[in-house]
Amino acid sequence: MSNSFLSFPKNNQPSPKFLRWLDVLVLLAWGLLLLKYAITGQYKLLIHPNYFSLIVVSSIVLLGLGLLKTFIYWQSSLDTIDNDEHITLLPTGWSGTLLLVVAIAGLMISPRVLNSDTALARGVSNTLPLTRSQPQAFRTSTKPEERTIIDWVRTLNAYPEPDAYAGQPANVTGFVIHLPELPDNYLLLSRFIVTCCAVDAYPVGIPIKLEGNRTAYPPDSWLTVTGTMVTENLASTDSKTTKRQLILAAKTIKSIPTPADPYDY
Amino acid sequence: MTQLHNAFTLFLSLLVEAMPFLLLGVLLSSSLLFLTDERKLINKLPKNPFLGALVGSCVGFLFPVCECGNVPVARRLLIKGVSPGVAVAFLLAAPTINPVVIWSTWVAFGEQPQIVIFRVLFSLAIATLIGFVFSWQVESKSILQPALVKLLWAKTPSPKFSQEPQLERVPALLQSGTFLLDRGEALPMDGSLFDALPSFTPSTTSLSKSQLFLNNVVQELRELGGMLILGSAIAATIQVFVPREFILHLGQDTITSILAMMLLAAVVSICSTVDSFFALSFAATFTSSSLLAFLIFGPMIDIKGIGLMLSIFKPRIIAYIFAIAAQLTFIFTLTYSYFF
Repeated sequence: MSNSFLSFPKNNQPSPKFLRWLDVLVLLAWGLLLLKYAITGQYKLLIHPNYFSLIVVSSIVLLGLGLLKTFIYWQSSLDTIDNDEHITLLPTGWSGTLLLVVAIAGLMISPRVLNSDTALARGVSNTLPLTRSQPQAFRTSTKPEERTIIDWVRTLNAYPEPDAYAGQPANVTGFVIHLPELPDNYLLLSRFIVTCCAVDAYPVGIPIKLEGNRTAYPPDSWLTVTGTMVTENLASTDSKTTKRQLILAAKTIKSIPTPADPYDY
Repeated sequence: MTQLHNAFTLFLSLLVEAMPFLLLGVLLSSSLLFLTDERKLINKLPKNPFLGALVGSCVGFLFPVCECGNVPVARRLLIKGVSPGVAVAFLLAAPTINPVVIWSTWVAFGEQPQIVIFRVLFSLAIATLIGFVFSWQVESKSILQPALVKLLWAKTPSPKFSQEPQLERVPALLQSGTFLLDRGEALPMDGSLFDALPSFTPSTTSLSKSQLFLNNVVQELRELGGMLILGSAIAATIQVFVPREFILHLGQDTITSILAMMLLAAVVSICSTVDSFFALSFAATFTSSSLLAFLIFGPMIDIKGIGLMLSIFKPRIIAYIFAIAAQLTFIFTLTYSYFF
């Protein structure tokens, strides 16, 4: 009992050797995970591309630390600081195990593209009036048919007069949301805007008017729609009043696979 | 299943975003080991509790870390002998009062300079006030886990402790950490605090500072990483299973919009370096005082950060800080709403 930290029975606890190598594994696994996201481009599903270099640098630092630790433990006489009486404490093992489990799960399970459920949960219907202010400058010089959904939303924010855009050609890509408040021959073509990471992604969208029923285009499928902008009176979010707004009357609709970088910034 | 996969994606998204900043914070805090004159530095801190808290709030300028990086630095400052009041002020102010965050807020809200200015002023005021309050905490035992007090004081001091009398002068708070209960006793999760102590007494160890540095980086990364995972998991779960509209619909008038944005800030748990861009996406739907509340409160307290703060304080103290910070943010931003 001379040392209170040594007084716990050993049998329940991972050995110091195990914990040392757990540390190494945690560092290497997290380095690999970040490297995987950087190489596969999956980081685009998680964070804003501005942080790409941050991920690469962190991955290099973590891998470097892991390799350095491996080297030190290999020549184990070099390393004496890891006082066993502290390292052998069970909760320390938990923390490392937790990190390792999450890293391995991350290596095995790919991140998922945010879908229409998330969009509805985050209030995509709020964007029907299209009144959100945007962090980035909108590109006014873009030709109408080159505008993305986000460009359209930004342009409308800058000059919110639907009639000004009526008759303009449009060519946009996004995923399908079946908004409950829209009639059956309308769907919302939507994109998520990411400012920092997937956590703050928020959806914007343009209502698309179809020739037939929207059931041909299931939610979350990706479409490229060309057509002409028109203005119509549609039921607003509270479904009691109607609101005049810009709508894309579809001429051609093409199904496309989910793009590698589904978000806009 | 889809929801679960979504939650996992958001969870990873939070972690991938926070990990580089945590790494930066841990590297910065461990590099404080190289500061040979830390005693002098700390002696230079004003003795006056208020000035001490004010200086502590401004230390963030030296360590441009967000709320994932400030916890390791605050812990290290505590170990170096900084008083709890100064450390609390630093902890609350550093994520906002630093050049990177002020710059990014300016980029986002350059057209409304009052938001940038009042974000800095109010954060500084709140951090200083709370730091001031905590500087009156003479009895550091009451900040500690009762189980830790029992462990530290009731037991015979270990030989290691008796060899290092200066350990007793270190406030007991410094010897805390995260404690998990096991077989009726509290186990410190936090070996690094003890391992770091030899830096006060270089003679007790033959290890070079660079090895201390490396070991410290790995230990802090492991311990704080574990807490970050728990915090991010809770934040991601709430994000997926509580619709955002539920929070947004709370905020339609001056008072409830401030409360809603504070709630959102705590739930969303995004880094202070980028939260102004996030807030900007609400600029059209919310009052500027509520955006200000989001920008002030979020960096101080969020779910992800509480996980990290548990490695310093016991839950009750975090609840106090949470409550005082929330009230001050509310009062300040409400006052702001009457003038702007």
